[in-house]
Amino acid sequence: MSTWHVPDDDLRSYAGRGLGPPLLWSTETHLFSCSWCRSRLASLVPVDDGWARLDAALDAPRPGPVERLLVAVGVPDHTARLLTATPALRLSWLIAVTVTLALTALLAKAFTPVVFLGVAPLLTLVGVAVSFGPGVDPTYELTVTSPVHAFRLLLLRCVAVLSANTLLCAAATAFVPDYGLTIAGWFLPSLALTVTTLLLSPSLGPVWAAVLVGSAWVMTITWAGMVPFTTVGQLSLFAAVAVLSVLLARRAALFDVLSPRRLR
Amino acid sequence: MTLTSATDVAVRADGVVLRYGRTTALDGVSLSLGTGVTGLLGPNGAGKTTLLRVIATAVRPDAGSVSTFGHDALRGPGRLAVRRRLGYLPQDPGFHPSFTAFEFVDYVAILKELTSRSARHAEVRRVLALVGLDSVRTKRIRALSGGMRQRVALAAALVGDPALLILDEPTVGLDPEQRMRFRELFADLGEDRAVLLSTHQTEDVMSLCREVVVLDQGRVLFTGTPTDLAGLAAGRVWTSDSRVPGALASWRTGSGAYRHVGDPPPGAPLLDPTIEDGYLTLVDLHTAEAQR
Repeated sequence: MSTWHVPDDDLRSYAGRGLGPPLLWSTETHLFSCSWCRSRLASLVPVDDGWARLDAALDAPRPGPVERLLVAVGVPDHTARLLTATPALRLSWLIAVTVTLALTALLAKAFTPVVFLGVAPLLTLVGVAVSFGPGVDPTYELTVTSPVHAFRLLLLRCVAVLSANTLLCAAATAFVPDYGLTIAGWFLPSLALTVTTLLLSPSLGPVWAAVLVGSAWVMTITWAGMVPFTTVGQLSLFAAVAVLSVLLARRAALFDVLSPRRLR
Repeated sequence: MTLTSATDVAVRADGVVLRYGRTTALDGVSLSLGTGVTGLLGPNGAGKTTLLRVIATAVRPDAGSVSTFGHDALRGPGRLAVRRRLGYLPQDPGFHPSFTAFEFVDYVAILKELTSRSARHAEVRRVLALVGLDSVRTKRIRALSGGMRQRVALAAALVGDPALLILDEPTVGLDPEQRMRFRELFADLGEDRAVLLSTHQTEDVMSLCREVVVLDQGRVLFTGTPTDLAGLAAGRVWTSDSRVPGALASWRTGSGAYRHVGDPPPGAPLLDPTIEDGYLTLVDLHTAEAQR
């Protein structure tokens, strides 16, 4: 039997997870074979602390794949949790968007790029519309009355949805290399539709605002074809996004209370 | 009328008006709330939920002012300061159904700016224990009963130990034992903070509240103690062996005798009024006045 035993200070550090290698390894090896040190360890560490740690480990929320990904790329864990409550960032939604984009990319390759360029902004629009607002976010009323600015949360979710869709769309464009840069023309319409929907949502609610804006986009594409994706069209959209963003910033306060009109 | 002394005021609403289109939901509401539990009574559509939303900073009124802990609760930094000290249980608390009870309360704790993970989780455990939900904290909300969901929503309102608690019908869907537990909890919470409790349960008001406010058609009809409210029916509650037509309310009790609320016939044996009798009398008088 060994005559050496782990000093009290090291045992306390071990219990408090403060012991580092190589002392950690030698302590663990010794504890495995020495019942006296194990009993000293038990007496040095209150049992309740162990239960509390076990509780903490067992009931702490387990992040899903999207939340883990967000944390891995540097998003703080609390922000990641707020973001992953967004339906448009759930794995099932992202898979649906991926499948839709893949299909439209194939159709674009076979027929015309308008299919892809017209549908991609609509996916972003729908993603944003279901992300925040009365009727779509069950905790909307709690959010509005919390110190977290509702508008800030809304923008965070929009950025997250736009980023996810941008990545997926960029991946989808790899299937249609023949159209060059033209195939990236979906991006500015996505921004324009999103900002317009946000502007209208305090009055109409996010769903009806998205329906209205989406319908207008479908009509535009039907009548104008590739015009929005030409240089002139893209410059016009850029200007529209800039103006609409300024207007949206000025209306930010409307998002920090419930609209009485929407409560009737 | 206010019963709260100037130094004790947590919330002061003055001339609050709010319209939904042509409907006036709040018509010049003025009231003060202090430490303790204040009950808010009124028929459906009286404007109770709207008033709670205004005080909870969820809705901005068309006119009037709301001052909470000395801050302008309707705009800017004052509103933010109020939100930092507020616990709010809405009438229809929404949940992300795939969340567990722990995850939901954790989510609300993040909304309340508790960003440190370990401190936040400790707070979540504390409030879930407070409402007696330790054992189901890892269960999905969709698997919980209505009463348990209500307790999860209450736990979320308690996160951060708020100085002002606004509770919109918190005992709906609870069984009698759960309601009793909630009463105990509300009484404890009202020891050192302002609690505004909207309810249809007059017995909750009688047993819990220091003050009661009665609202009807967007107007404050009464502010006073529950005993004062019951006193409004003094001399208007009587008993007889048979049903008497024309009484405001009339029902046969378990003993077989009839209990009536309204103007008694001469010589009728009078009974002690309850808060419910006072409430009925008040709303009836107001309705009669409005029809004149």
